[in-house]
Amino acid sequence: MDSTPGTPRWNLERPFLTGRFHQEIKAPPHTTVSKPFSMDSFSRGTDNVIGSYPVSVQELLVIDDLLSALVGIEGRYISIKRVRGKEGHVIFQIDPSMDLALQELTQRIFPLCEDFVLISQFVESKSPFKNGLVNHAFAAALRALLLDYQAMVAQLEHQFRLGRLSVQGLWFYCQPMMGSLHALSIVVEKASSNNYSGSAMLNLLQSQAKAMAGDKAVWSLLEKMTQCASSAYLGILERWVYEGIIDDPYGEFFIVENKSLLKESLTRDYDTKYWQQRYSLKDGIPSFLTSVAGTILITGKYLNVMRECGHHVQVPLSENSKLTSFGTNHHYLECIKAAYDFASSELLNLIKDKFDLIGKLRSLKRYLLLDQGDFLVHFMDIARDELAKRLEDISVEKLQSLLDLALRSTAAASDPCHEDLTCCVERASLLKRLTTLKDLECVYPPHLNKPVPDSDDQPEPLSIMGLETFCLNYKVQWPLSLVISRKALTKYQLIFRFLFHCRHVNRQLCVAWQVHQGFRAFNTLGTPILRSSILCRSMLKFINSLLHYLTFEVLEPNWHLMHDRLRIAKSIDEVIQFHDFFLQKCLKECLLLLPQLLKKVEKLKSICLQYAAAIQLLIPSIYIPEPDAAVGSFKKDRSKPRRSQSRSQQLKLAAENSKICDSILKFEREFNAELQSLVPILSNSSQAEPYLTHLAQCILGVGSEQ
Amino acid sequence: MPREIITIQVGQCGNQIGMEFWKQLCLEHGIGKDGLLEDFATQGGDRKDVFFYQADDQHYIPRALLMDLEPRVINGIQNSEYRNLYNHENIFVSEHGGGAGNNWASGYHQGEQVVDDIMDMIDREADGSDSLEGFVLCHSIAGGTGSGMGSYLLETLNERYSKKLVQTYSVFPNQMETSDVVVQPYNSLLTLKRLTLNADCVVVLDNTALNRIAVERLHLANPTFAQTNSLVSTVMSASTTTLRYPGYMNNDLVGLLASLIPTPRCHFLMTGYTPLTVERQVNMIRKTTVLDVMRRLLQTKNIMVSSYARTKEASQAKYISILNIIQGDVDPTQVHESLQRIRERKLVNFIEWGPASIQVALSRKSPYVQTTHRVSGLMLANHTSIRHLFSKCLGQYEKLRKKQAFLDNYRKFPMFADNDLSEFDESRELIESLVDEYKACESPDYIKWGMEDQGDASVAAALDSKLVV
Repeated sequence: MDSTPGTPRWNLERPFLTGRFHQEIKAPPHTTVSKPFSMDSFSRGTDNVIGSYPVSVQELLVIDDLLSALVGIEGRYISIKRVRGKEGHVIFQIDPSMDLALQELTQRIFPLCEDFVLISQFVESKSPFKNGLVNHAFAAALRALLLDYQAMVAQLEHQFRLGRLSVQGLWFYCQPMMGSLHALSIVVEKASSNNYSGSAMLNLLQSQAKAMAGDKAVWSLLEKMTQCASSAYLGILERWVYEGIIDDPYGEFFIVENKSLLKESLTRDYDTKYWQQRYSLKDGIPSFLTSVAGTILITGKYLNVMRECGHHVQVPLSENSKLTSFGTNHHYLECIKAAYDFASSELLNLIKDKFDLIGKLRSLKRYLLLDQGDFLVHFMDIARDELAKRLEDISVEKLQSLLDLALRSTAAASDPCHEDLTCCVERASLLKRLTTLKDLECVYPPHLNKPVPDSDDQPEPLSIMGLETFCLNYKVQWPLSLVISRKALTKYQLIFRFLFHCRHVNRQLCVAWQVHQGFRAFNTLGTPILRSSILCRSMLKFINSLLHYLTFEVLEPNWHLMHDRLRIAKSIDEVIQFHDFFLQKCLKECLLLLPQLLKKVEKLKSICLQYAAAIQLLIPSIYIPEPDAAVGSFKKDRSKPRRSQSRSQQLKLAAENSKICDSILKFEREFNAELQSLVPILSNSSQAEPYLTHLAQCILGVGSEQ
Repeated sequence: MPREIITIQVGQCGNQIGMEFWKQLCLEHGIGKDGLLEDFATQGGDRKDVFFYQADDQHYIPRALLMDLEPRVINGIQNSEYRNLYNHENIFVSEHGGGAGNNWASGYHQGEQVVDDIMDMIDREADGSDSLEGFVLCHSIAGGTGSGMGSYLLETLNERYSKKLVQTYSVFPNQMETSDVVVQPYNSLLTLKRLTLNADCVVVLDNTALNRIAVERLHLANPTFAQTNSLVSTVMSASTTTLRYPGYMNNDLVGLLASLIPTPRCHFLMTGYTPLTVERQVNMIRKTTVLDVMRRLLQTKNIMVSSYARTKEASQAKYISILNIIQGDVDPTQVHESLQRIRERKLVNFIEWGPASIQVALSRKSPYVQTTHRVSGLMLANHTSIRHLFSKCLGQYEKLRKKQAFLDNYRKFPMFADNDLSEFDESRELIESLVDEYKACESPDYIKWGMEDQGDASVAAALDSKLVV
């Protein structure tokens, strides 16, 4: 606590003014007997032992001494000794020569004196600033009580001067204070021996009050003390739950702020530390708040978010929303609940309305989940060449400008959010990327990949293309980054990459399909072209069904579910939870968490791609001259049937045809085998993961067969 | 603007259905009769640029070419309230205005004569687009202009834009009524050849079925052309919704077609639409769910191609592929359930030589067109029973040809000069092979059709010998 102000000097210089003198009682050396350190100015010939007086005089003398002892001052026959090893503890001793009955009575009063000294020492020692607000408040309350006590002593002294006070009377009058001070001294002793402060102090007071519940007077005193001591603490609490500010100079509050976490980190930090750890609970929550500590933390967090957004909110304060006490009526709980409700609904409205969360999510769905894929079609058209390059040759800037172009010239243009979209080219293939993300729940155990780098597990050929690693990025601003955190965005990106690649395969197959369309002039029955078109159809069917499954069976229903849930969400944490749940579910159902299956699918896709590429190369090179010739013959030489066309040409091509034929059959075999191998996997896992039945129905048409 | 589609409407029928189509698109996109965007339609999130482009004054112009050999229909359009919508440079009416006299050969020949003018217009439109995806041709196959000139256009487009898709919406004549066009079978046959060879996809709109639907489903005693045409425009606009209101999939024409068309020649699609309403007819509001819609789409009475098959043949007919475009307010989980139900009930008879299932595309609905139904659906299907329609055409042709009737009108034109009727024979042969191919599709062995040997290695060898066309 560097920042705490020091104790003023007068506090040290004037011990009698502040009561510090009690601490300065010197421990008398063992041997010296009753040479008491007398500060009595009016000492009158003290050499006589008290036993030499008559009992009635002894009583007067001892009352006089007792009245001093009650306020912690030594008398002629009563001495004060420090207890060694125990801070602040003193023992009062009486001249043993006194009348035994008197001695007995006197000693009964001593505990009160000792308690007084103990308490007043506590008050003094806790007064410096560094001890924290709770201790200050408690000390102040004690001081007020001690003033009452001193007033009582003064009254007794007055009675004494009037000659109306006997030792028995004194004993009688002290009774009420005895109990009180004793109870307090227990508290004080515990507090100072453990050096409690803050909430620990409050807890101590409370538990003590509970323990003393049988003693009505003491109980109410301790309750009152607790109230007094906690008022400052409740002030801190009030500012936190009503304004979201931690005003806690002495570190007593149970919520700490980690100022090193900046909100800007949300857009980068995968673990959303900002939201999780910027404000956190620490040990020592006051027991009366433990049940609502979470709520309190969240309330302030929400308010804080709104303040960070430049949106000044204050929980509307009314008379009875003051957090004055935490009495048994649980009013404070209601206040906290009200503040929480206010804060969460206010923040939710802020995020939903002013920052248009749903709109952002929609636009994420549009761009990263390809909800409206027209821009992607155009982008893939114009960026085809760039994306077909190898990773290191790709210019991200160029892709970005092409993406901007695609966005501007499609339906996306009317969406203001499209400017938040940037593109990036990642380094690793999707499968590899998935293995590097640790916390996707289970699945990709890294050890599975490392020791088995054989055959199909050697996924990263150097020639990995942009198409496989292209990804979109989305700029998310505070405070939406709370919901759409880095982690959430990464999940979106994973799904995007998968969809994007499927779309790529689909496009390539469409191109292959178009190649076949050139053969309308032929009767293709029984030719490799027919075989190839049917294979092409099967592949298209596969990829379309896969896309259908991914979009209409996974993304769309889940999104709708989330959308409905978000509408009824009551707090931002619920929103985050629903959103994360949605992403996790999508990720899982999109097969991204099932490596075994995903590898199969990737294999099938790569067969499709190879096929499409092969067809585009092979078929036109051999067949195209022919239909051209056929079309050409239409105009001039219509009467001649095309059948009479050069047979020799046909024969020449025959050799190449068989090559094509072979490769088509090879693709067919490979594709069908791979597709069939999906069947057992899907049916095995579909019991655990019911959504796989949907997939099986989609891509294998299972169930449609008789 | 990417993936544009140019619409070419040829002949009386083509222009009439084209007109309806553009009316519908304007309504759906909130474009006024003069091409200006209505105030309420600024934030649509739709893609107008596939079918429209914007002039300097921001008004939307259809990427449409209007062609006819006689001025009546086009004059009608030019005098309608939509006269300012079209680009007047894109309207072609033959100078002499005499029409094609319901003669395919005349239409074809006239097309040949004005090829430069027409191609100029097409080239200009094509150059005006960023990455043209393809052409859509609207025409009928029975008359003279739509069939003859349309055929010529198909050949030319195929040659000049070989990389672009050509899709046609072809209206087939009413087979039930005796037509005033006696040479209809000739025209149909000759056009069918071009549709087979030069189009990537033909959406068959059978006037017989359209009439039947109008009578049976819409309860119109004597459906007018306008009413049947509005059915056509509904189908046309619905089949393009996934392009205009982009969704997860089928955002381009090629993707849409590739999934429907298995082999190059089997590219004739049937359509079905539900629920159907005509203007001012809102008293038949039904509850619509995805399952209802899908179920109804599979009913033959809702399909816009009549089935001429006999019962035995009909039971063998199979779906090669189905795409259901579902529009409206749909809970996506219903899609799966509906598909499941249809599968369980075995409502669809699919081909056996490959994986097949109903594909579903969910599409948004235009926010500017108020419909009384929550869900509506269009089915695009490739169904083998279409071969019976072709057989019917062939049959009618044979009848006429046997009598050598009306051939003189054709001999007047160069293609058939010197009594050279080989074009007819060739066309017939081609359509027969098309019918055969569709028939082959019904067999589980389609993939090995015509291959004697089943062993894979020898198949390759066998294939070579079959390559000869």
